[in-house]
Amino acid sequence: MTSARSRFRAVRAASWACAFLALALAAFAVPARANESAAGSKADPARAITSQLICPCSCGEVLSGCTCETGIGLKGYVDRELKAGKNKQAIEAALIAKYGEVILGAPKAKGLNLVVWVAPFAATILGFGIATMFLTRWVRRKRVVAVGPDGAAGSGAPSADAALAQLRARAEAELREMRE
Amino acid sequence: MSEIGRLALLVGFLCAVFSVGSIAYGLRTGRVGPLRSGRNALWAVCAMTLLAVIILGRALVARDFTYRYVAEHTSLDLSPLFSFASLWAGQEGSLLLWLLILSSYGAAFLWIYRKRLDPFYDAVAMVVASVAIFFTYLLSFVCSPFRMLANPPVDGQGLNPLLQDPGMMIHPPILYTGYVGFIIPFAFGIAVLLMNRTGTRWIEEVRRWTLFSWMFLGFGVLLGARWAYIELGWGGYWGWDPVENASLMPWLVGTAFLHSVMIEQRRGMLKTWNVALIVLTFELSIFGTFLTRSGVLTSVHSFAESNIGPWFLAFIIGSSTLATALILYRKSLLESENRMDAIVSREGSFLFNNVLFVALTFATFLGTTFPVVSEAVTGSKISVSAPFFNRVNVPIALALLLLTGAGPVLSWWRATASVLQRNFILPTVAGLLATLASLPFGLHGVYPIVTVFGAAFVLTTVVMEFARGIQARKDVAASRGAMALVDLMTKNKRRYGGYVIHVGVVMIFIGVLGSSVFQKEAHQPLRTGESMKIGDYTLTLKGTDQKNEPGATVTRALLDVSQNGKSFGVSHPAKAMYFKSQQPMTEVALHQTLGEDLYMILGGVNDDGTVSIQAYINPLVSLIWFGGIVMVIGTIFTLSDRMRLRREEKEAV
Repeated sequence: MTSARSRFRAVRAASWACAFLALALAAFAVPARANESAAGSKADPARAITSQLICPCSCGEVLSGCTCETGIGLKGYVDRELKAGKNKQAIEAALIAKYGEVILGAPKAKGLNLVVWVAPFAATILGFGIATMFLTRWVRRKRVVAVGPDGAAGSGAPSADAALAQLRARAEAELREMRE
Repeated sequence: MSEIGRLALLVGFLCAVFSVGSIAYGLRTGRVGPLRSGRNALWAVCAMTLLAVIILGRALVARDFTYRYVAEHTSLDLSPLFSFASLWAGQEGSLLLWLLILSSYGAAFLWIYRKRLDPFYDAVAMVVASVAIFFTYLLSFVCSPFRMLANPPVDGQGLNPLLQDPGMMIHPPILYTGYVGFIIPFAFGIAVLLMNRTGTRWIEEVRRWTLFSWMFLGFGVLLGARWAYIELGWGGYWGWDPVENASLMPWLVGTAFLHSVMIEQRRGMLKTWNVALIVLTFELSIFGTFLTRSGVLTSVHSFAESNIGPWFLAFIIGSSTLATALILYRKSLLESENRMDAIVSREGSFLFNNVLFVALTFATFLGTTFPVVSEAVTGSKISVSAPFFNRVNVPIALALLLLTGAGPVLSWWRATASVLQRNFILPTVAGLLATLASLPFGLHGVYPIVTVFGAAFVLTTVVMEFARGIQARKDVAASRGAMALVDLMTKNKRRYGGYVIHVGVVMIFIGVLGSSVFQKEAHQPLRTGESMKIGDYTLTLKGTDQKNEPGATVTRALLDVSQNGKSFGVSHPAKAMYFKSQQPMTEVALHQTLGEDLYMILGGVNDDGTVSIQAYINPLVSLIWFGGIVMVIGTIFTLSDRMRLRREEKEAV
């Protein structure tokens, strides 16, 4: 009965921890992304686009910092398209049509790509949940053991008296060993 | 000479096999003779590898193009220093360096524990020798550095221009010293399982070996970042390149281990978890080599791709399967001696910190390998690069920063409400004040605000810890001022060395924040006499010149740099065209101050006669390099805590 209740409490604590962490991560990631693109577009709209793209030649650099010929050419293309009045979505769509999705520095969150977006956060939340569950169970078990069958009170952390008693017991044991 | 080199590697392979066989036989029968022979054989592996390195090194410096490796990686116009550094420019040489460091670790281990008669240490040596078998086999039978050319060329192909940088002389050896060093903790972990050992004494030894390798790997990673900053010429230092990620992953897991091992030492808990972390750290080190050498992923570091990938993959799968089977087989040995007392405690915070470190590693691993998986499943290519990692890894890293502040001020066993109140109010207030103070400087967005808050929080907790310690020393030992600080630090090097490392980490976070969020960029085609502005700086083109250097023609822009009217002289961003590779290389011009770097790149000379200049202002980037140095100092200080170990060694002997 106690064990079932303890397990239930551990799972409940873990669920709370997971929910809290999920909310925290959502609160972190979503506005950060919005801020990132807003700030980027305010400061330099071309950079807001090129910092999210990869140079399509074999250099593999993020386009905004690429200094190879292909990269410089593409940065010029983005500048020209912006001046012609095209927006970010239209420019990206044109580049994807020409080079494929490989030009995007981060894959679109659809289909199989969802795995790479969701799994790290899911793993973090799961890890926190498991850690909280173990911790809660350990703590409860420890309390049950500490109270003991005779109902004597005891806490997990040793009190000063208990620590002193432990040290005395150890010293006596060592003295006994020396005499033997 | 090449025959001697080949023979040395073959003898090394045989010695490694003999070492494993002999020690295994000695452990089974309890006879001392075979154990001693096995140890001696591991010494011989080191000697044979050193001989092979000397022979290849001599051939490289002498530019003996009858060696295929020399012809492929050096040329007559290469300086002797770079010629020697070509030892680790190609695949065979890199593997040879790997083996040299591996066998040197083995030899160092044997020397340090030469007075220990416990067969446990022989088992550790046996695991090291087992790994040496793999590398000596590869170098003897799969990719020998001593293959000869029937018709040697008059001149060699030369060294990759990217690698012709002074940092190249030390970056790979330091990085490898870190990577390979995790063999010793791994060997200890496996030996504990093989020998059915209990106790926590071995864990202190493992902690020290891990700390040593962790320091080198971390420093190597930062040197790599510095190399990318100077040599690649894109204004940044970390591109989440697959090989950068590969070096970061074992460092992250090693960091998790260095925290959780404290719980095992103090409370006898998390034993299975710690052994799993040791194994994972080592496997990720091998995985790093696999990524560099297999060519499965495109990387700026894939200098020498070949067909040894499957060998590495087989080794990783085989060794991790064996290690996992051993952990499961010895599960009872690894049971915790204690239970947690409270979730809100230092143990609890370390556990959550471990979850975050492993999650960060997982996210990096998944992002690095996902393009391969996606292509195999869907058939279409995708990229997973900096834009992805910045969105996924940064929030996890920031959570870690906050825990870096919280962990040390939580007490062991249980943190009571009064402890929480006493320890958290001041850092929280400091964090909020720092954030408010930063807002007028243009701080915006969730990540930057959390970074500033976290950094101030961590620094305040460190200062509080020092202040409390100094006060206690004044009360107890009547020490005063600086002496109290010295007393405090020398009496508990592990603890205060750890705080110094945390300060280094905070410096790196602030450096990354400054150089990414506040980075300014300008690019403009200039004619001679024209100027461009970036921030407070004015760059005026004085002209261009061209000069011939060994192996390359270098075109330089002569840029007069001034800030608010104060001239700093002429800088020379350049483009070098290497004759051998016909590869244009960017040579960055840097004007560095403590507060910011002015980073100038020559884009090229255009057809209309204008000169393309690209410039960046990277604020606070120097904090990244200084933060790394502070971390190294903190680690060395922590490692210098030998008193307790010596006492324990005496007891053991």
